[in-house]
Amino acid sequence: MTMVVVGGQMGKPEIEADLKKMLAGKNIDIEVKNDLDAALAVKSGQANYYIGACETGAGGALAMATALLGSEKTMTVASPTKVLSPDEIKEGFEKGKVAFGFTINSKDTVLPLLAELIANS
Amino acid sequence: MDFNTVLDYVLVALMGAVGSILANRGIAVFNDGLRPIMPEYFEGKIDRKELAATSFAVSFGLVIGMGIPVSIGTTVLLAHSILLTDDIIGTWTPDTKWGSAIAGGIGAIYGVALMLGLSSIVKLFNAMPVNFMPALSLLGTPILLAFAAFPALAVASQHGAKKGIITMGVTFVTWLVVSKFAIWKLANGTTIQLDPTGMALLVAMIMMIFFAAQVKSTGDSNTQLVNVFAERVSRIKHNWIWLSLMGGIITVAASQLFFAVGVLPQQLLVKGDVNGAIFATVARAIGFVPLVFSTAIVTGVYATAGTTLIFAIGMLLKGQPILAFVAGFAWMWIEVQALNVTAKGLDRFPGIRDMGEHIRTALSDTIAIALLIGSAMACSKMAGNVGYFWVIGWWLLNRKLKKPLVDLAVGPIAAIALGVLLNLLRVVGLF
Repeated sequence: MTMVVVGGQMGKPEIEADLKKMLAGKNIDIEVKNDLDAALAVKSGQANYYIGACETGAGGALAMATALLGSEKTMTVASPTKVLSPDEIKEGFEKGKVAFGFTINSKDTVLPLLAELIANS
Repeated sequence: MDFNTVLDYVLVALMGAVGSILANRGIAVFNDGLRPIMPEYFEGKIDRKELAATSFAVSFGLVIGMGIPVSIGTTVLLAHSILLTDDIIGTWTPDTKWGSAIAGGIGAIYGVALMLGLSSIVKLFNAMPVNFMPALSLLGTPILLAFAAFPALAVASQHGAKKGIITMGVTFVTWLVVSKFAIWKLANGTTIQLDPTGMALLVAMIMMIFFAAQVKSTGDSNTQLVNVFAERVSRIKHNWIWLSLMGGIITVAASQLFFAVGVLPQQLLVKGDVNGAIFATVARAIGFVPLVFSTAIVTGVYATAGTTLIFAIGMLLKGQPILAFVAGFAWMWIEVQALNVTAKGLDRFPGIRDMGEHIRTALSDTIAIALLIGSAMACSKMAGNVGYFWVIGWWLLNRKLKKPLVDLAVGPIAAIALGVLLNLLRVVGLF
């Protein structure tokens, strides 16, 4: 059973609802937590993936995950300066990134890509 | 140039210089997203080039997409426009004694150049054939009262819609009662009046904190962090003198009323509502304390402006630069020394810790909508009803862009762009 935690800061109910729709029937659990508990859940192996959004894609979204898991496990998928391409996101995913942050305004662009990668993992 | 103008330039130079040195030496960074990357550099997991690239990626978009545009056309600088750039300058310069000196020099030049540039833009706008500065001042109008709605929104997202509606109702009734009845005529003819918006916000914030404090737990995640990362906490304490120095400088800048943290206090200061700005700064700081403290504890890198409460202290001491410096210097020392105790205290009130992210989200949503409506008002004042087309169109289109702007910056940028465009159209005879 795969488990995804929604940490980070902004739009958590929307991200949860979107993920539930995208991952319906795939036997994947989705849970909303605060940033610290979500990061700890991934660190302890309770959860497999971390997803979070904020204004920068790195601060409120990913700061605690980066601090606890290390930057080799985390990836800012969309910042105000740069939105990664589907190929770049896929490459990061295959390299073992498990925590993903993005700006809340790019949710509709990047969340489907992440959901697909998680569903096929 | 009068004394205050000279002092303001000295202050931006110092904030640019000291802030860049703090980032260069890894003592403090302003961007919460950059802080966790710093230990990776200390431990050699990434090199200086990668650190520089990351700091640029997480900060630059907010400097040019929010910090500078929101400050354009006003006399109040948004802290982001200087402190985020300090992060970039500090990490782009070499990690040596000379590197620190270079960072300080570039930071000082940047601060002065930014302030010169922004004040000449104000002059330029005022000299244009279609002067849209009076229209632009409408931008912050809705914020003056609308921001009192944010605690109700934060309560709703943390504790459910019902408690949110109750908070909204109580906020409104407080405003009504205070504005009707809290006026006293003194014997000598002067009247004293309580500020209805300030009181409404105060009551709403008390309700928000009350609801959050009800959530009890026996969790100890912060205590664990403090224990596991004890060495990193002592690294911050060891650097107290630098942090206090920066704290003092920022507090003086805040006391001069030209430097604000967050768009809400900045817009309130632009409108001359100092008390509102103090309230808003404290509210915002409460929202950021959990994030700033927990990232600081696990990284050993503090925030350039700490919990940002020094901005409120500065405004309380407006016009008293020396006192402001001493107070800011002392407050940063207290913050740093109390890091352990405060973080452990948050464990006992997990609701308060969680409240932080609800406050941050509620604040940015409230400001974004208020600024959207404000910019629509400003644009319609400039160009009639086509102003609504312009603002609403760009707001909605922004989210479809490859690299969307932060919501709250869309309105102000659209308004300024329309003003400039109208001038170009006037030149070719189309407006």
